[in-house]
Amino acid sequence: MTEHEHAASVGEDVELEAFRRLYPLEFLEKFLKDGVRPDGRPLGRARSTLISVGSLPHAEGSAMVKLGNTTMLAGVKLEVMTPSVDFPDEGRIVVDFQMPAICSPHVRPGRQSELEPVVSEQIRNALSSSMMVDLRELNIAPGKAAWMAYLDVYCLDSDGSLLDAALLATAAALADLKLPEVAVTDDGKVLPASSDVQEHRSLKNIQSKRLKLGKIPMALTCAVHPKYILPDPTAEEEAILKTTITVLTDFSGQLFSLYKPGGEVLASTSTVQDCFALAKYRGKELQKIFNNAVIDAEADDAMVED
Amino acid sequence: MAASRVSSYSLESQRVSLARGSSALISPEGVREDGRSPHECRPAFLQTGAVNAAAGSAYAEFGQTKVIVSVFGPRESKKAQAYSDIGRLNCNVSFATFAGSVRGKAGQSTEEKEYSQMLYKGLEGAVALHTFPKTTVDVFALILQSGGGDLPVVLSCASLALADAGIVMYDLVSAISLSRLDTNLLLDATLGEEINQDGSLMLACMASRNEVTQLLLTGEWSQANLSEGLKLCLDACTKLAGLMRSTLKESTSNIED
Repeated sequence: MTEHEHAASVGEDVELEAFRRLYPLEFLEKFLKDGVRPDGRPLGRARSTLISVGSLPHAEGSAMVKLGNTTMLAGVKLEVMTPSVDFPDEGRIVVDFQMPAICSPHVRPGRQSELEPVVSEQIRNALSSSMMVDLRELNIAPGKAAWMAYLDVYCLDSDGSLLDAALLATAAALADLKLPEVAVTDDGKVLPASSDVQEHRSLKNIQSKRLKLGKIPMALTCAVHPKYILPDPTAEEEAILKTTITVLTDFSGQLFSLYKPGGEVLASTSTVQDCFALAKYRGKELQKIFNNAVIDAEADDAMVED
Repeated sequence: MAASRVSSYSLESQRVSLARGSSALISPEGVREDGRSPHECRPAFLQTGAVNAAAGSAYAEFGQTKVIVSVFGPRESKKAQAYSDIGRLNCNVSFATFAGSVRGKAGQSTEEKEYSQMLYKGLEGAVALHTFPKTTVDVFALILQSGGGDLPVVLSCASLALADAGIVMYDLVSAISLSRLDTNLLLDATLGEEINQDGSLMLACMASRNEVTQLLLTGEWSQANLSEGLKLCLDACTKLAGLMRSTLKESTSNIED
């Protein structure tokens, strides 16, 4: 390379960054035309996904999910509650999605991000429509005591497709959740299993157990361009394209719900069907990652018990 | 709501695990619960660049204490604030709901407010505020897991995050806490030791300038104990500053590669 050419390439770097900022859509389209995304992955692929469970010792179940740069940390804390009269043998799961100020420059402390209640509600809907957890599993003594599971999902780094990552963290934390061994008195008082047995003669011990899981929900967000569909968009892509379609299915591709919140591009039936096909493919991919992560954790359990 | 009568299962189990005298925390041979000697720090892990969306960030893990700090800016100050010739430092500390053994409530607790203020006071003297006039640098910390000595870990982590963001500082701030149990001085105390302590000392300093930015003392201290405690903290801070420096060096050499 001659010196002249070298200088030109340095100039190009500066121009590239300026081009990216000034004409974001044209910048993105230049990549899409060649069949790649700005971060180097092929058009129809999601970012690399990592799940690790059991990272929080204070939580009865926990999971950390990385979807590219987007990072979620979910923890389940248990408390004992009196079940409602209508459903005496059911516990409750309370899901909260939190965006602390550390995760993005757009969130300020003390002010709730607009996305927080939206994503919380979407996760709650996904849990109830997939029936992932039978609430009767959280029963301790019918009519007297049941588990209340507080599931908090924290976004630690926000780089697009938040619902996808948050839902995955939710599911993995619930899969990791282990109900502790407790002792119940006749009148429904719940004590840690290690407490003094002499005081309460009529104690009934309940073994610790993991929840039986039903269908596991997953989400795939697709950013829609009039010509292309980009699954698992980064924050930059979401900001440029503005239109997203989010498909919620289980790992086998059974549809639970679909969100298409307005946007500039109208979605035709074929677009929706394409998103659905992408979700089906993604489901297979995620199932493998999910099972590996959860099975690893269960194997660790078995080793501790031996 | 039917579920309003929530009993504190976790509270009871916590009481079982924490209510112990000081004799259980340190053996006659001078070995602490986690196997450390009294003047030994917890194993520390530091990493910069934990949050990509931030201008600078750091993750710190001291034993069971885990925190993330993100730095944003310098950016435009809030409109409501008066004109200022020098830059502003805006600090906020919050706890994750699963940070402690009892689930925390959302919304800012008094402890969070206190920590935010302490973080600001601890960093204020180290940051060259005149280098970003009229603008604000935001320092936000999230305590993922509270395992004792939360504030000093946040302070050290925050100064590392500021350095990662390229904010000009006079020196890195490293901080450490020390608990007094009877006559024993325990450096870098865990949560269990902090609960049973008779007195505490927290020191934040700029090690290479030999300047203290923050010193917090609670409980009863004898002159001899205090001067020994201060010396221990200063030594530990100097060591910690070395570790922070090498963490920063590593992260920059990774970029060059």
